[in-house]
Amino acid sequence: MTLKTLTKPWEAMSYGFLDGSAKREMRRKMLKSVAVPGCQMPYASREVPMARGWGTGGLQVSLTLVNPETRVKVIDQGADDSVNAASIRRFIARVAGTPTTMDTLKADLIQSRHRIPEEVLSEDQILVLQVPNPEPLRPVQPNMSIARQMHADADYGRMWLQLYEQIVRSGRVMQGASYPSLVNGRHVMTPSPIPRWDVPKLHMAKHLTILSAGREKRIYAVPPFTRVEPLVFSDVPYKVEDHAKLTCHRSGATGFFMNEIPQDDGSSTHEVSDSEWGVKAIRVRDGEKVALGETWYKDGEMPQ
Amino acid sequence: MSAMPQPNMSEARANATFDALLWTLSRPGLPRSLPEPGEAPIIEALLDRECRVHAAEPTLIPAIMRTGAEIAEIDRADHVFLGAMTAAADLAHLALGSDLYPDDGATVVVRARFGDGQRLRLTGPGVDGMLTLDVGGLPEGFWQARAERMRYPMGFDLFLIEADRVVGIPRSTQVEVL
Repeated sequence: MTLKTLTKPWEAMSYGFLDGSAKREMRRKMLKSVAVPGCQMPYASREVPMARGWGTGGLQVSLTLVNPETRVKVIDQGADDSVNAASIRRFIARVAGTPTTMDTLKADLIQSRHRIPEEVLSEDQILVLQVPNPEPLRPVQPNMSIARQMHADADYGRMWLQLYEQIVRSGRVMQGASYPSLVNGRHVMTPSPIPRWDVPKLHMAKHLTILSAGREKRIYAVPPFTRVEPLVFSDVPYKVEDHAKLTCHRSGATGFFMNEIPQDDGSSTHEVSDSEWGVKAIRVRDGEKVALGETWYKDGEMPQ
Repeated sequence: MSAMPQPNMSEARANATFDALLWTLSRPGLPRSLPEPGEAPIIEALLDRECRVHAAEPTLIPAIMRTGAEIAEIDRADHVFLGAMTAAADLAHLALGSDLYPDDGATVVVRARFGDGQRLRLTGPGVDGMLTLDVGGLPEGFWQARAERMRYPMGFDLFLIEADRVVGIPRSTQVEVL
């Protein structure tokens, strides 16, 4: 054994920013999170040149997965062009030399904050969701050691009680985003703060979803063809946002998740939240030939 | 930064290996190709000083030692390389993790043959409905022994390899011998 066999040639920077040991730990934890769908796995969550809470968890997953052929799309609240999305996309391209895209159909890896694209993801795509708070039990049990024990025991009674109290008090479930969902009939997870509209897209999907919370150092996953059931009572059906009849004032698209834009006169207009879907709709309207993917929602309804 | 960053050889290999492992573990029973045959690419992609590794196959020990991983008894190991198995009894000693920390369950790599041997029916997360798979080269009673040990979410995750092909069978998969 010589010194040369024990060392590696000098490099200015580790490919994809993260060093080898960080990547190996991410890999081990990602495999475990796929093996136990919806169960939060602790991981080290290394430093990246971005403040914790701004997508560092998702970024570490993306940096571990990318190679120079991976086409990366980054969205923030549905938009490809917001500051956070643009910065993360540029950072990944710079440290990993990856091509980037805004088109959902052309992307191999989609890192997202708070939305799942409107076009159906295929089996070769991986969705990485940034998670601010991975613990669905936190509102009912702030002590995370006890919450972990509750997950171990599948003790979700207080979760149900919370939903029941909301219905009694307000007539409906008040949980808007990050609706608690039962994965594979065993672990309750928070699907990250995606709207209720997006939760059914995870159920029996063709793609792999990895959810990673950098600040909280937890990673979990929803493999393809895995049951993801929002917690609901049998007599109070799950309801998505009432956006089926809304029309985007810029693209004319109807039946998708919308951003509400308040107007001076107190009314509001809407614009489609998945910005690239809106762009495609405008280009189709202008007579361009655009490849439109199949959408999860058809005429504002999710077929089951 | 001037030049486009390019992965070095070992990084590219580890990335491709992990891509295959993640894909096949997400879709149990569907094989993927490793960049190189055998356990070596898996050892390179996953193991380092933080791991405790057990290898039943002595020829793998040098490669494992080079990663800096600790060689451990089978019940303490988080990664277990059983090679070509002769008896299913080894499965009885694998670490399963705990209900609190299911991630402490072992990752187990076993050599097998695809396309002949026992016909298995897989169901569970990652399988579209159900899937049949022929796996040979495993000892008598292997799947029975696996089923007896699984206490979901406690359990161990299997990678079956034949040359450069790998099939993942996570603990969440139900395996029925037909």
